[in-house]
Amino acid sequence: MSTRRRRADGGVAYLDVQGTLRERTVDALRDRTLRGNLDTAATSWGESRDAMREGYGLDDMRERAREIRRSNIRNLPALLAEMQANVREAGGTVVRAADGAEACRYITGLARARGVKVVAKSKSMATEEIKLNEALQDAGIEVVETDLGEWILQLANEHPSHIIAPAVHLNREQVAALFREEAGTDEVPDDREGLVAHARVRLREKFAEAGIGVSGVNLGVASTGTVCVVENEGNARLVTSQPRIHVAVMGMERVVADWDEAAHILQVLPMAAIGQDAANYVNLITGPRREGESDGPEEFHLVIIDGGRGALRGTEFEEALSCIRCGACLYSCPMWRSVGGQAYGSPYSGPIGAVITPLLEGPSSPASRDLPFMSSLCGACGEACPVGIPLQDLLVRARARSSSPATRASGLAFRAWSRLWRRPGTYRAWMAGWRLMLRARGKDGWATDLPGPGAGWTQVRDMPTKWPPRR
Amino acid sequence: MAPAQVSTAAVGDPLVDLLLESLTRRKATGQVVQPGDAGRAAARWMADAGVARAVLAGDPLVDRIGLADALRREGIDVLTWPTGLGKRESMGLEGPIDVCGVTVPARAVAERGTVVLEASAGHGRGLDVTSRHHVALLPADRIVRTLGEALALTYADGRAAPSAVSLVSGPSRSSDIEKISTLGAHGALTEHVVIIR
Amino acid sequence: MRTCLSDAVAPSVWKASKRVLERCGVTVKVPRAQTCCSQPAWTAGHPDQARAVARHTIKVFSGPEEVVVPSGSCAGMVVHAYPEMFRGQPEEEAAIDLARRTIELTQFLAKHDLDPGPGAPGPVTLHDSCHMLRVLDESRSPREALAKGGCEVREMQHTDRCCGFGGVFSINFPELSGRLGEEKARAAVESGAREVVSCDLGCLMHIVGVAHREGIPLRARHVAEVLDR
Repeated sequence: MSTRRRRADGGVAYLDVQGTLRERTVDALRDRTLRGNLDTAATSWGESRDAMREGYGLDDMRERAREIRRSNIRNLPALLAEMQANVREAGGTVVRAADGAEACRYITGLARARGVKVVAKSKSMATEEIKLNEALQDAGIEVVETDLGEWILQLANEHPSHIIAPAVHLNREQVAALFREEAGTDEVPDDREGLVAHARVRLREKFAEAGIGVSGVNLGVASTGTVCVVENEGNARLVTSQPRIHVAVMGMERVVADWDEAAHILQVLPMAAIGQDAANYVNLITGPRREGESDGPEEFHLVIIDGGRGALRGTEFEEALSCIRCGACLYSCPMWRSVGGQAYGSPYSGPIGAVITPLLEGPSSPASRDLPFMSSLCGACGEACPVGIPLQDLLVRARARSSSPATRASGLAFRAWSRLWRRPGTYRAWMAGWRLMLRARGKDGWATDLPGPGAGWTQVRDMPTKWPPRR
Repeated sequence: MAPAQVSTAAVGDPLVDLLLESLTRRKATGQVVQPGDAGRAAARWMADAGVARAVLAGDPLVDRIGLADALRREGIDVLTWPTGLGKRESMGLEGPIDVCGVTVPARAVAERGTVVLEASAGHGRGLDVTSRHHVALLPADRIVRTLGEALALTYADGRAAPSAVSLVSGPSRSSDIEKISTLGAHGALTEHVVIIR
Repeated sequence: MRTCLSDAVAPSVWKASKRVLERCGVTVKVPRAQTCCSQPAWTAGHPDQARAVARHTIKVFSGPEEVVVPSGSCAGMVVHAYPEMFRGQPEEEAAIDLARRTIELTQFLAKHDLDPGPGAPGPVTLHDSCHMLRVLDESRSPREALAKGGCEVREMQHTDRCCGFGGVFSINFPELSGRLGEEKARAAVESGAREVVSCDLGCLMHIVGVAHREGIPLRARHVAEVLDR
């Protein structure tokens, strides 16, 4: 759908995405394979997650998770200061980056200074947000995504479709074709086990070459200066233990106070994300290797990104910072499961993406200002969110903040509407006129071609002109 | 390829039984042995799994149960951490493929089938994950019920936080192809926990 | 509260609601001056315009009575969004008061244990509208009301999934909205019932409109209309 091309600025949304948001939804709806794949994924997530809700009382755990995250965000400056001090105490380096460009400059600079040619990465939405891969490639450094799904996407030249399951929109045959192309041979099996085994060997070669491992951070624990990297494949452990340098990239909001809080969030995260009570690997890293240890990185760098987050504290959008990036709201969203993440044109898709992308980008950014409108406000997202973010309310607030020619036009229309509908007499007259118009337009009880805003209605559906409607 | 029949029958200790149950759910296996049988049992499991080389954590428990000798009797090559191998061989790109990392967890979480590995001089961060198989030697008194209890012990006040801690809950797995869980993505394909009472 | 959609497309819905309540012995007033809860402007991102209309609604319904709404969505708007909309405004107290007194029709029947007597026999299938289900956290009251009225309900698959209506969304993203509507209409027909009912007229207009366009044999009525007959 979208391809990676060079872009100039450091915005959050992908600037190489084609067409309007609505056009992209239409394209995605035409793709039958995509819809089948999304449906399989969302359905299996739903079943597993329901088992967690029963088995562990996930719904009750949400209250505490919400309190923890809200207090983290309230105390953010102090927690970040504590985190920073403890990482340094453990022998690590901490860098606070105001935006993505600054973070990229630091990491590419580090790679150049250490003469690093190959960087191995584990899955990280933050690096996707700051467009780190492009920055490193521009500096002539090879970047290898080692999460299986991310690697598949890298080979396909595509952006991730889901926070947790990036390649969820591709099927086995499509993956096998990509692997054959990468390996330059037809000797690639096309069963799932075979494909996974093939990738394991190809990627180990890259781990052996890489001078820097870049990971994301699911949680930072302030009391000990520890970063938590949660995963299932084992690639993040390799990324954080094999190369000589480990760079962890963390959004500034991802910090909790202590291990009591961390334990709770680390339990909630896999339950919400994958419907399991544990991820296979959780890597808890406190600084570089210590004296006497014979593996692990010699240098540990923690890059903490603001990127517009700090400015959200104290606003009506503050709760969006509670997000632990589990992806539950994506799977639960009828829009996301119909068109997939790529149609959103930003690293963060689904309801949370529709809220935070325009917040991080600015209300009039053409790339993201329409996102909050791509929701029926059905509330499935808020119900699925394990930290209780009222996503449907945030979507409404994000709409009020959006600024585009379309919102200005609808603003004028609603101004007229508001004047009509606060006066009972004009309201009744308007309604009577409207019913007459409907009856005049109707044939056999149905109107198939309405004027004005009604045209959007009758484009895909008829309007009953009698109620209850005729067959 | 499938390891030999290992008895996972309940032993009557609620935490041990819960851990065994959770390990099964996480696609790992577990068995309960007396200290005197631990070395032989672990070596037997590895032989059945087709292991050619074992890399042992440098931990007193490994010596106490006589694991190295038991392995040699099974014809398995034995290395102890740190191995001094080159990068490619330590990553399984050279040398034997069927390598087994043998770890000694600091703790285990019964309710979710997690072993807690702490990095130290004798215990590499990559020990379990670079190998094709993973055997964990776990004294039963190190089992706790919840993750919260385990982390509270690991990061207790007054104790220096380890440089790296790995919570391992079953073999490596990826669901990135068609959302169906497939084992052995990057880390170990099999995980076996020998619980020593 | 009549709701503006009922005024625009289906006056029979609020009239049926009134009759159902009266059959239960409830004294019903339908203020002539009422217009709309203001949800269209609120969800379109124009809170100032919404507030102007909502202010009128608060005034019209300022009495001490319970305000019964034959729509989970409009009731949800008043109950959930009015307090936020008027936070820090002179009408804040009145908005909170109205939110406390407002209740959806079948919830009102359940709360006061009212029985309107026999309704249509069905079979019908019930679409759980999103705002009923997730804003008002209610899925039992419409089923109870239908059961009391002797109406057979055949549950469809994924009745809790959104039908894709979503107010302004249905016009901003017609293709996506239509696709979800079609899925809903097909699920409804597969239940074995030929009629879909719901507490929300908006969803019904959308579902049945898509069904008619796509040639899916499905009728639709509001819950109140089924209870009425």
